[in-house]
Formats: sequence, C-alpha cells, structure tokens
Amino acid sequence: MVAESSLLTWVVFTPLIGVAILLFVKPEREELLRWITLAVTLFVFFLSLPLFFKFNSDTYLMQFTQKIPWIPGYGIFYSVGIDGISLFLVLLTTFLMPICILSSWRYITEKIKQYMIAMLLLEMGMLGVFVALDLFLFYIFWEAMLIPMYLLIGVWGGPRKIYAAIKFFLYTMAGSLLMLVAILFLYFKSGMNTFDILKLYEAGFPLELQIWMFLAFAVAFAIKVPMFPFHTWLPDAHVEAPTAGSVILAAVLLKMGIYGFLRLAIPLFPQGSLYFTPLIIYLAIIGIIYGALVAMVQPDVKKLVAYSSVSHLGFVMLGIYALNMNGIEGGVYQMLSHGLSTGALFLLVGIIYERRHTRLIADFGGMQKRMPIFGAIFLIVVMSSIGLPGLNGFVGEFLILVGAFQVKKIYAIVAAVGVILSACYMLWMFQRMMFGKLDKPENEEVSDINKRELAYMLPVLVLIVLMGVYPSPFLRRMDASVAHFIALSQGKKEVYAFEDKAVNPVSHLLGKSKVGKSDGRMRDAQFTMHDAGFRVKRNR
Amino acid sequence: MELIDYLPIFILLIIAVLFVGGTILVSHMVGRRKYGKEKMSPYESGMIPVGDARRRFSVKFYVVAILFVIFDIEVVFMYPWAVIFKKLGVFGFVEMMIFIAILLVGFIYIWKKGALEWA
Amino acid sequence: MEFTLPAIKIGAIAPELILVCSAAGLMMLDAFAKERGKTLLPILSIVGLALAMVASLKLWGKSEVTFAGMVAVDSYRVFFNIIFIIGALLTVLLSMNYTPREEIDRGEYYVLVLLATVGMMVMAAGTDLIMIFLGLELLSISVYVLAGFARGQLKSNEAALKYFLLGAFASGFLLYGMALVYGAVGSTNLAMIAETLATPHLPARVLLMVGVGLLVVGFGFKVAIVPFHMWTPDVYEGAPTSITAFMAVGVKAAAFAGFARVFIGALGALHPDWTMVLWVLAVATMTVGNLAAITQSNIKRMLAYSSIAHAGYVLVGMVAGNEVGRASMLFYLLAYTFMQAGAFGVVIMLGQKGEPRLNITDYAGVGHKYPLIGVAMAIFMFSLGGIPPTAGFVGKFYLFGAAIKAGYVWLVILGVINSAISIYYYLRVTVVMYMHEEGEEVLAVSRAPAVALALILTSVATLGLGIFPSWIWEPVQKTVNLLLG
Repeated sequence: MVAESSLLTWVVFTPLIGVAILLFVKPEREELLRWITLAVTLFVFFLSLPLFFKFNSDTYLMQFTQKIPWIPGYGIFYSVGIDGISLFLVLLTTFLMPICILSSWRYITEKIKQYMIAMLLLEMGMLGVFVALDLFLFYIFWEAMLIPMYLLIGVWGGPRKIYAAIKFFLYTMAGSLLMLVAILFLYFKSGMNTFDILKLYEAGFPLELQIWMFLAFAVAFAIKVPMFPFHTWLPDAHVEAPTAGSVILAAVLLKMGIYGFLRLAIPLFPQGSLYFTPLIIYLAIIGIIYGALVAMVQPDVKKLVAYSSVSHLGFVMLGIYALNMNGIEGGVYQMLSHGLSTGALFLLVGIIYERRHTRLIADFGGMQKRMPIFGAIFLIVVMSSIGLPGLNGFVGEFLILVGAFQVKKIYAIVAAVGVILSACYMLWMFQRMMFGKLDKPENEEVSDINKRELAYMLPVLVLIVLMGVYPSPFLRRMDASVAHFIALSQGKKEVYAFEDKAVNPVSHLLGKSKVGKSDGRMRDAQFTMHDAGFRVKRNR
Repeated sequence: MELIDYLPIFILLIIAVLFVGGTILVSHMVGRRKYGKEKMSPYESGMIPVGDARRRFSVKFYVVAILFVIFDIEVVFMYPWAVIFKKLGVFGFVEMMIFIAILLVGFIYIWKKGALEWA
Repeated sequence: MEFTLPAIKIGAIAPELILVCSAAGLMMLDAFAKERGKTLLPILSIVGLALAMVASLKLWGKSEVTFAGMVAVDSYRVFFNIIFIIGALLTVLLSMNYTPREEIDRGEYYVLVLLATVGMMVMAAGTDLIMIFLGLELLSISVYVLAGFARGQLKSNEAALKYFLLGAFASGFLLYGMALVYGAVGSTNLAMIAETLATPHLPARVLLMVGVGLLVVGFGFKVAIVPFHMWTPDVYEGAPTSITAFMAVGVKAAAFAGFARVFIGALGALHPDWTMVLWVLAVATMTVGNLAAITQSNIKRMLAYSSIAHAGYVLVGMVAGNEVGRASMLFYLLAYTFMQAGAFGVVIMLGQKGEPRLNITDYAGVGHKYPLIGVAMAIFMFSLGGIPPTAGFVGKFYLFGAAIKAGYVWLVILGVINSAISIYYYLRVTVVMYMHEEGEEVLAVSRAPAVALALILTSVATLGLGIFPSWIWEPVQKTVNLLLG
C-alpha cells in the first residue's frame, strides 16, 4: 500500500490516472469504458477507506498531511491534509462516485468516453477542494472543478441545458472571482508570505478588514451553498443535469460551500463572521421556510427535491452559525445525511425517469402496484430526508435544532416549522406518485427496479440506516476538529483545550442510545443546554 | 539655447512671406488680364491636353520610384562615410561592404523577380 | 572633430544578426530556387529562429549596455526575445499549411515574418528612443505588408490599408512624443532621461508632459488600448489568420516591451503622473474589449476584441509598476502567446480555402467530432478566461496580485469583474462546440500536420504554465526585475 503521507495525493489524483487510461480506449468500446471508470472509482473508494479507519480522533490537527513546495516565490505549497470535518466529505465523495457511474450505466448513451472523463475529473476536483490546506491550491481546485460539472450539465443535460450550464458557471465564477481578490488582499496584508490556511488562522486581522474579507469569501460560498437570495441557479442546474450530475451537485458540490465557511470564511475572519452572524442566521431560516414552501408547489419532482435542498442546507447553515458543539456537529452530520438522502432521491428520480421519461408528479400515481421494491426504497429515503428518528436525517436535524435552541429559542422554533413542512411536501409527493389509482395507461408496463439499480441503491440504504442508529463512529471523529473550530470561530489564538472525549456528552449519549428512545435523547439534550462549556457568548 | 536666438530666422520668415505675398498681390491688382481658350486649358508643357487627368499609371512607375529612393539613400549614406574613410580604416571598409551586400541581396531579389523588366 | 568608434560587440546583437542573415538567405532562395526548393522556406525559417533562440539564451543573466548606450544586454530583453521567437515559430507552423491552402505561399511571407521579428527584438533591446522607434518601424512595415498578403481578397486589402494608415499615424504620434521628450530632457537615451528626471528640478515640465502623453497615444495604438483600438477588429478579421495570430501575439508583446522599457525604465520618476492615466485606460480597455467581444459572431473578431481586453490586463501590471508587476507582465505575455496563438491555430485548422465559415455558430459539434481539437480549443478558451489550472489563470493571479500589493484594490476588483464578463463569451465557444446540436455539416478539418503540432505545443504549454508556473516565474522574477531600468 502507499505511504500514509502520500495517501491523500493518491486518492485525489488516481482519477487522473483513470482519465489517462480512458484516453487510450476507443470511444466505440462503451462497455469497457464504463467498467474501467467503475473500477477506478471503486479503487479510489477503497484507497480512501484507510483514511477513516486510521483516523486519529483524539486530535484536531491535520492528518495524512503532505507538503511540497510548489510556487516558492509566492510561498505556495502543494499542501494537503484532512481533519474530522473534511474526512467525511472526502469519504462521501469517493463513496458516491461509483454509485453515480453505475446509475449512468444505461442513462448515458452518447459520448460515453467524454462523460466518463468528465466524471473522473470532477471527482479529482472535488476531492482536491476538500483536502487542500493551501489557499491557492484550494482556489485552483475550486475553480477547476467547475469545468467538468459545467460540461456534465451542458452536454448530457435536459432541454434547457445550455441556459442552466451557463447560469451555473457564471454564478459560481462571479462569486469566486471576488474571493480571489480577497485571497490576494489577504496574502499581501497578512505580510506572512504564505497561503497556508493554518498559518493564516493566526494572522488576526483588524476588524474592518475582517468584515470586508469575510463578505468576499462568504458571498462566494453562499452562492455555492446556495443560501437564500443566491439560490436561483440551483433548481435550473438540478433539473437540467443528468442524474449523476444532480447527485453529485446535491451531495458534494453544495457541501463545498459549507465547507468553505467551515475551513476558510469563519476561522480566518472570526470577528467578521460574528458581525454577520445575525444576518446569516436570518437568511438560513428564510431559506429553510422558503425552500420548503416552494418545494411544496413544484409539479416536477426533480425541482421539488432541488428546493428541498435549499431548505436542508438552510438547516446546515443554521447549525453552523449556532457556533456551538451541537449545532456544528449537527451541521456537519446533516451535510453527510443530506448528501446521502438527497443523492438517493435524485437516483430514484433518475430510475423512474429512465422508465417513463417524465418527471411530472401528475404523470404518476399508483406506481406502488407496479414497482413495489422501488416504492419501499423510495419510502425509506423519503423518511430519511424528512428526518424520521432511526434514520440518518434525524440525528443531524436534531443536533442542529438543539444548537439553535441554545442560541435563541425562536430560531429553533421557526426552523422546526421547516421540518414539519418538509414532511408535508415529501409525503404528499410520495403519496401522489406511489399511491392511489394506477390510472395512467403508460404506467401499466413500468418494470420494477433491476439488479444494477438495486446494487447501487443498497449501499446508500445501508448507510442511511447505519448513520441513523449508530452515529457515534462519525461524531467521535468530528469532536476534536469541531471543538477546535469553535475555538477558532471565537477568535481565540490559543488552541482550545481538548483532551477529554467526554466533553461532548451529546454525541456520546446519542451514539450509545438505542433506536426509538427519543424521550431519552430529549433529556440528554436538556442536559447539554446547561453545559455552559460550549455555549457561545456573543457580544451583541 | 534661448528662444530669442531664433529671432533673426523669424524676422526673415516674416519678410519672405510679406515679399512673396506682396508681389502676388500687387501683380494681381495692377497687371492686365486677357483670357482665351488656350490660356484657360491646363498646362501640359506646351502639348495639347488629351483625355482625363485622373488616369491610372502602370504600377511599374511606383516600383521604379521606390527603387530609386532606396539607392538614392544608399548614396547619401556613402558621402559622410567617404569623408571620414581614412579614420575608419579597415573597419569602415568592411562595414560598408556589408551594407552594400545587404542592398545587393535586395537588388538581386528584385531583379530575379522581374521588377526591372518593363514589358 | 575627433571621432571614436563606439564599442561594438557582435555577440550582443547575435540574435538579430542571425535573423537578418536568415531573412536575406531566404530571399535569395526564393529568388533562385525552383518550386521544390521553395518548400524549404518554412523549414529554414524555423532553423533560423531556433538559432536566434540559442543566441538569445546565451545573453541570459547579463546586465550591460553596449553600442554607445543604444542596446541593452539584459534578461528583460532575452525574455522578450523568447516570447517573440516562440510567437514567430508558432506563426511559421500555423502558416506552413495555411498559406498553400489560401494560395498565398509566396517566399516573401517568411522573409517578412523574420524581419518583423527582428524589429520586435530591436524594440525590446533598444535603450534609446531612436532604437525603439527603428525597431517599431521595421516591425510595422513588415506587418503592414503581411496584413495585406492575401492580395486577392478585399478584406485583406482593407486590413492592410487601414493598418497602414492608422499605424503611420500612430508612428507620427510616437515620434512627436519622443521629440518633445528629447526637447524637454535633452537626450534620447533612456538611462540619461531617467537620470535627468531623477533630479528634483525639471526644466520644461509642460513640454515633458505633452511628450509623455503623445508617447502613451503612440504606444497605445500599437498595443491596441481603448480608445486607440478601433483598427484592431477590422485588421484582425481581414488579415490572413496566421498573420492575425502573429499580430495578436508578437506585435502586441513587442509594443509592450517598448512601452514598459520607456515608461518604467526611463519615465519611472514620473510614475505618479502617468499611472492614473494608465489606470483609466486599463479599465476602459478591459471593459470595452470584453463588452464588445460579447456581441461578436465572427470568431476572429471575437478574438480581436478579447486581445484588446488582454492588453488591459497587462496594463494592470504596468500600473502596479512594482517588481512583481513587471515580472507578471512578462509572464502574462508569454502565457498569452501560447493561448492566443493556439486559439487562432484552431481557427486555421477548422477553416477551408477562403475561410467562408468563421461564425462561432459554425463550430457546432466540433467538440464531439474532433475530440482533440475540441479539448485544445476548450483549454485555450478557459485559459483566456482565466480559469485554473491554466496559464491564463496564473498570469492573472500574478498581475492582480501585483496590483493589490501596490494598493490598487479597485483596479483589481474591476479587473475580476471583467474576467467574469469575459468568461461569458469564452464559454460560448465551448457551448457551441460541445452543447449545440450538430448542424447538417460539421466543419471539416483540413489536413495540417504543422498546425496540429502547433496546437499540441500550445495546449501543453498552456496547461504546463498553469500547473508549474514557477519554472518560468522564478527565473523571471529573479533576474528580469533587477535589470529593468
């Protein structure tokens, strides 16, 4: 096996080797192209597994680091590493890629070679964003990743693909160019001659500068998340993208925005972040409610899922801006579960679209009779998305609400309305599609889910249940990093004392508690609310 | 050098303009004028004018004119060179040979290309 | 009158001598050789350019002035020589299949390309206003002819005439500016000018300022800065495509070489005076170039406007005026050479005789029918738009970084807004290539091995500079900066 220090590099750049192999395969050999890509993505996934198992959860320090001088004149390094937050995003990416390849096995019938190359390049770009510890490197991956995604939407997308692709590209690009200015400004103002993110944490900029810098970074990330006023590219991109594109978009790309807040915007400019905290919380809550309301009236199921993403990511932002242990861990956890459940929803929509070539809810009805297995899976995923206890969605949402409650009760109360709304639109959609009379003749002949589709849905389902009943292995690995993040977000220069795992009772109790004991959890939550250790004192 | 040093030149300029202008003006006022057909026709060195004044010339005229300018300049360059030829010595000789060789290349080129043939 | 010979070092002008001799040799070959011998012309020009490259590289790292203060031997010049020679090499490669196709394969073509390259080199080497002007004229006259090389085509004639008239006009401005600067300072030597300006007491400030203004106009014409850019789209569209590439790449770089040498080297003391003017011009150039490019349907015109915008980006480095700014100008011009020449290469590759289909929409389906050409064009477009990991991004990163360092934050903000605008029309090319439905007939690729080679070289270089910029950046920053001025 590869050495631990270069493991991340291998994980990130193995897809590039895959691209090199694909270049030498004739475009007519479609099956071979698919198998090679699947093999490469699976290989990357297995390569990334040691990251999880060898991960040391006792430290907030970056692990599996590697640092090589790249552009010495500017103090730019090829510097990679992961902590408890990025670990899971890397794993989520490597886990979903083979699934995406499998899901597009029959859906993509044209230009397969280019498609597979674009997918592999996309995987490389996304992984690079999550592991980069150098601001310049981060920006390179952040931007470079746009190109394959843009091609995925634009070439293999639906009828309005060009509009959606350009909108996606320009929105993201416009935001990140301002970030580029901020990065350059940061470099020259810090006077440290470094793009090292960890070193820049210690720079301690004056307040006014922080406010502007934070704004520049935050807009770039908020567009990506997308937060409420910047979200309009998302439904277009989602609706037009091919299934795998939607899955990746929802599961990974949107997380890059949140990750940007976690890794860069907040810890680099804690004062600036505090300054904008109320605004961001309001926008997040507006996003939750607005996304849910708009989702409710969508006739197109893919658009419904897209707007539900806006709502769910509002939750994540709310959790993170609670700036306490519960909120942030909940936010990170919710990122993962949203990735799984929304990814799975898009996969299911893709499956049914392949059979019926329509996504309008009104065109379905009574599908349960023809597709019982599909219906069962669909139900589980819908429940996971709503946040049914016992499935992954619940843990994250619950922690977020607890975190928000600790800050201000009204936040949690309003956000909880969003949970109710999400149950409404999801279940209503499910009911209209799966139950009722099978009154459309076109739906008579629809076949149930096949083996290939089952093969890629099952791992997702397993994880959905696993993360719902046994969150402790996940939360345990986040604890140290999240605690450190909180310290950074309060602008503390000294490292937050984190020695004892027991400082975060919620995640531990949650981890140990059994399914269905929601009352017990509630009490635990009450207990943490009085745990002043992680309450953030905000100077309003 | 001060601007005042140019004063004589300026005065000369004014005198020249006044003289020329004055002469033309005076002859215009006092001279007798008589117009006839011949007098009103364009001057063509005593020949009877034929055709339109705006006729096209063969491009070869221009080629010859340009070639003339080039070799003309060559000679202009050679004069000062000749004046200090002894001071320059062998170096000057070699330099001028190179200069002429370059022009010769151009000359051979136009010759082979047929720019010197009139027909 | 006592006469002393100036110091003469043949080695110092070896690259120029080699190219002049090659040009003369090519003329003779063209005059005497039969049809088959003429196929050697491009090969021999490549050999000459390669030799000149070697001779240039030998001058790397030196720092001296010879020929009575007329010629600089420094890394600034060598780096520009590299840019010019690469530009000329790419032009020759692009022309090898293009000129026979368009039936303009006459021997003078390569001779003129080489002579124009010499002119560029003289501009970069000159440390005297007169030298710079000489280089500029040698360059310009050769390019006037080249622009009209497709004699049979009206557009080419129009381009040549327009370029000639406006270019001559610009030369006049430049020369007048030089004369006024000479009148104010009393010398045409850049070092002497800098020395005089360094003293606090200036004799004729008004005269000097007018002169500097005229110099801005003159150089502005040559590099196509708004509002002196009007000729660019027509000339770029009408000229033979290979020559358009040459103009966009070489001529622009040469004009910048002279521009920066004069303004930073000689007029550096007046930086506070001219910097605001250039600030405004840079913003105007970027904005007008990009906005006008959006509306273009002809790909050559689009690239012409984009080249105007890129001149604006390079100006940002000049406004910054600091060491990083100068180095980043050089880096950007090199990066720009590859991506722009490559883009024109694709245009040549996909053209037929007479180039009847130059609309961007004609490129529909190209990306799928010819994957390699499509990828190459995509690389060039993304690089021109400044998206990583390409040379264009790193170049802009350096340029904008320099401007931030010098405190021009708003300039940079306007610059990145412009980048965002520019992405729209660069993207459109990729959109058409990959996402539009293929029409009844996709453009045919002409058999052009030399152009293919050029495309491979430029796309590899565009990516290479984007991923490993320090290979070029480090030597440039270390040596070039110390020597300029």
